[in-house]
Amino acid sequence: MEEEAEAEEQERFSYQQRLKAAVHYTVGRLCEEVALDKEMQFSKQTIAAISELTFRQCENFAKDLEMFARHAKRSTINTEDVKLLARRSNSLLKYITEKSDEIAQCNLERKARKKKKSEDGNKSSRETAEAEAVDSED
Amino acid sequence: MEGSCAGFRKVRQRGLFLADASGQELVSRLLHLYFRDGKTKVSGDALQLMGELLRIFVVEAAVRGARQAQAEDVALVDVDQLEKVLPQLGYSSS
Repeated sequence: MEEEAEAEEQERFSYQQRLKAAVHYTVGRLCEEVALDKEMQFSKQTIAAISELTFRQCENFAKDLEMFARHAKRSTINTEDVKLLARRSNSLLKYITEKSDEIAQCNLERKARKKKKSEDGNKSSRETAEAEAVDSED
Repeated sequence: MEGSCAGFRKVRQRGLFLADASGQELVSRLLHLYFRDGKTKVSGDALQLMGELLRIFVVEAAVRGARQAQAEDVALVDVDQLEKVLPQLGYSSS
């Protein structure tokens, strides 16, 4: 039994390491862009430090988000919960709220396009059917 | 993140980072790693927004580090510079 628990522990650890590596890669690319913009180099240790901080912050975020949703008696975390995370900084909250509206708008437009597409599709197939019916009456 | 104007607004983003499908996948996995309840889910919109939030955290840390290095007139952002700006970033622990 103890061996099973240990194996599970190992698996979780190596999974965590893989995620950390993925975060590290993304952080590196983001720092690259800032380096270009600011004309400044980042040491490997700095990138590693930011990466570690980001990963640790995710744990806080995840737990907070889960609690916020639970507090609202939901099991699905939504954008309101994410906005709560950003509450401590005015500029951050403002930006996140803008982004949230942007995302909502974007998804609305995508749905509208899909709906229009399927309506047009139905319309053209109806017209074809009517045309064929007229032909057969001749 | 109070004080001078938000740095993350000023950096022009070239790549998508965390906003594309694989980025969303990563964000999702990161969050689920720490959920305590098996039933907890994240809406698609919330996932996109979280990706953005994480991106901002990284960029802001990098930008402030760079500013510190500029102020110190050094050519490299090293851990010394980063440590000085971390308190401003409001990294919290629950």
